Amino acid sequence: MMIFNTLIKVANEQTKKMALLPLVFLFFSCKNEPVAYQDNECKAQPSFIKNMGYNPARSAFSTSEKKTKGLVLLQINATGDTTGGGRKLYQHNTWASAGWLGPLQIDPNGNLFVGPVPVINLLDNPPSKQNIIYKVDAATGIMNPFVQLPLAIDSNSNLANPYGILGFAYLCQSNTLYASTVQGSTRQQENGVLYAIATSSAQIIDKVKHTDILGMGISYISGSRRLYYGSARNSNVYSIELAENGKFGGKPIFEFSIANLGPRGDDKVRRIKFNKATGQMNLYGLEFNFNLTAPTEKQETIYNFNYDAEQNKWIYAN
Amino acid sequence: MACNNNNQSINIHTYDDDVKNSIIANADSLLTFDFVAANVKNIQVAMKANIPILLCGDSLSEPQKLAQNIAINDATFTQFVHNKNNNTPYRNEIFAVYPARSSDMGNVKNATVANCYKVEMYNYTLNLTSIGIVDINQKKLVSFASLEQTQPEIPQYLQTIAIKIAIASPEVLQAYGIKPNEADALMASTKTALNRTRCERSRHLCVAPTFTKEGKALWAIVDLTDYKLVGVRWTNTGTTGAVTPITQRRLQDDKITACFCEKETPLEKNGWKMNYMLTSSDGLRIAQVSYGNQPVLQSAKLVDWHVSYSNTDGFGYSDAVGCPYFSQAAVIAFEPPKVLTIKNESNAAIGFALEQVFKSELWPTPCNYNYTQRFEFYNDGSFRVAAASIGRGCGNDGTYRPVFRIAFASEQNNFAEWNGSSFVPWLVEKWQLQNAATAYNPQGFQYQFTNNNGGGYYVQPGNGLFADKGRGDNAYCYITQSKAMVDEGEADLITIGPCCNTDYQQGPEKFIGSRPDNIQNKKLVMWYVAQLKNDDTKGKEYCWAESVLENGIYVTKPYPCFAGPKFIPIK
Repeated sequence: MMIFNTLIKVANEQTKKMALLPLVFLFFSCKNEPVAYQDNECKAQPSFIKNMGYNPARSAFSTSEKKTKGLVLLQINATGDTTGGGRKLYQHNTWASAGWLGPLQIDPNGNLFVGPVPVINLLDNPPSKQNIIYKVDAATGIMNPFVQLPLAIDSNSNLANPYGILGFAYLCQSNTLYASTVQGSTRQQENGVLYAIATSSAQIIDKVKHTDILGMGISYISGSRRLYYGSARNSNVYSIELAENGKFGGKPIFEFSIANLGPRGDDKVRRIKFNKATGQMNLYGLEFNFNLTAPTEKQETIYNFNYDAEQNKWIYAN
Repeated sequence: MACNNNNQSINIHTYDDDVKNSIIANADSLLTFDFVAANVKNIQVAMKANIPILLCGDSLSEPQKLAQNIAINDATFTQFVHNKNNNTPYRNEIFAVYPARSSDMGNVKNATVANCYKVEMYNYTLNLTSIGIVDINQKKLVSFASLEQTQPEIPQYLQTIAIKIAIASPEVLQAYGIKPNEADALMASTKTALNRTRCERSRHLCVAPTFTKEGKALWAIVDLTDYKLVGVRWTNTGTTGAVTPITQRRLQDDKITACFCEKETPLEKNGWKMNYMLTSSDGLRIAQVSYGNQPVLQSAKLVDWHVSYSNTDGFGYSDAVGCPYFSQAAVIAFEPPKVLTIKNESNAAIGFALEQVFKSELWPTPCNYNYTQRFEFYNDGSFRVAAASIGRGCGNDGTYRPVFRIAFASEQNNFAEWNGSSFVPWLVEKWQLQNAATAYNPQGFQYQFTNNNGGGYYVQPGNGLFADKGRGDNAYCYITQSKAMVDEGEADLITIGPCCNTDYQQGPEKFIGSRPDNIQNKKLVMWYVAQLKNDDTKGKEYCWAESVLENGIYVTKPYPCFAGPKFIPIK
């Protein structure tokens, strides 16, 4: 397992809405009008794969193939075996050009956004290119740079921190891509930035500075549209309100910590998902210490939290 | 005294004194305590039984004993007590037998909770907990579950042993100032709120007896799998909110970072002087090395490890070694560097070595690595820059290529090669491969450095002649000019070469380029890339490691392949 592996199904999951969604709350907050619940599921199948002979139900985009650098489209075999014979793997000739990749998002038009994340070393991921978001065009499948996030001043000299972009999230309502980068952070200073990017214009519309973020997820809780994120420096989970236009509203608040939970006790949250059926927040945690230790060492644990509406907080379930 | 060093330390960072004064116990000093001897014997006896389970060490009632007996004779409950492939016994122990609670019964039917007991067994080998619900009226197991990488509450007698180990460990005495007594220890159980701890790296059963003094708490992490102290660290007490536990990994990473990644440590011994520190990605770096007050090296370090596997074209890794936190290292240091005495066959001290181990956490399981870096300094002024792979890697078809960078201190050097009859100078930057046709002078030297002070060094490459079981380096040697205004690797380098080139293109050739510079009477750098083929053949293991069961616990048998040149003063 790669550290920041991402595997996203090709098929559009926006097929049905639950009749009773545990996360639908419409309480009024002191400051803002309540926001109606949305499931924030809007990714679409890229049109370029339509005639490639891949079964959408069994296909996914992946940035975590062990021996294949970059993005791949893979189809597992009919038995569900992800590694055995019968599976198909496709890589466009531009998909390895950015080195090893990590976070991956698909927009409602079928465009893919990917970010570079080094694996083992920086040979294929030079620091000067660690803050570039790439876009795979839904129609052609060609990958090109989409947005160059501002480089840290010492991106080439701060060799102690090998990372740049670490996490993505997507707000369907405003077509905003959120990207976190830790480039420029050091042992002593948290210099990471969370950016909000309008995908229609490729413009940065907002940012939160001095925060190192690993994994993110979006949900609508208690009438609030919120981006949840896990710190890259500790086991804390925070959230920040999102405005309808995708900009940040207010300041980040501490939600809870997964410290002391799981087999290691000091996991960082690399991915956040919200389960529509159970209402749970599913956190994917692993060891992360801003180094390049081998992926085979990374054991991932899933931590599930339930939302307690009365206490207005998340409670660890299992 | 920060980092247990003398006052010459150059402190350039902000870790507090609790981190700097923490102590990582020497992993090689397997302390044995008289008071654990009886328990060790009980374990050994239990391991030889048909059912290799040490019974609960705490006193049990007759019904509890009956429940324990039913459980250990049940095939489901004992399914993990042996290695299923070869029936080798694992180390297992019943930790507790409790009266069952309704919440323990789950989906159990046809059993009454009042008649049931919960039996918890810990498998030290697999770090696995087995839980059985036993109905003593029906005399059978009615429910079973196993939890991987999970540890149950430890029994009272093990808590007592943990406290005794802490009290008897010199590191605790050193940190606490006086020898604490048993009453000073707080909550040795891992499951209490204040002193939960983990040994994430060893995956052993660990607890942390905690001693308080003057508003602070001294955590003593004790490994109950090996009966030894892992390390100690002070924390502040009295704060509100959740206490972040001091665990094995946190203790090690913070200490290594604060004391060896963020500052240089001076070392003066046997006429040698130097500073050393751990780098982000170039291993342990020594600098300002002198002998008898004469400058010898500007610096020396280990830039990369290139690992290729011949059975899969282009498959391998280019690993950097270095600091555990905020680094480009793929294989990290989590034990401090050690200064070791080098002795000859007559057991007389002839020098010392500065050694640093870098490990993957899951080593020696497949695709995990262990690299040892060693600088040897002899009383006659000679020295060696060496490193070893200790496997295990991703296959038995691997070739390891460590990339050393050795920068000489003198401003004017000349470099020459033995051609079979004399040393012939190299005029410009170039590289050369050591092979079967390589000529050595009668003393076994291949090259020589001479400096403008009338001194210099012969260079003896690894050729199977060092007493380290090395089989020869088959090394590429590159000589480049060290330019005052251009940094060609003196500062920390990112990975300079790919995993799988099998020729001279290991990275240093980039500093030669298409127009090699003159190297006569220049400041010079030697790049040395050994090539070490691993071997897992029984009896011939090399660059390899095996896990073997000893007393029910996996221990590692290492087979290092040391490489690196030795430098002998020209007299």
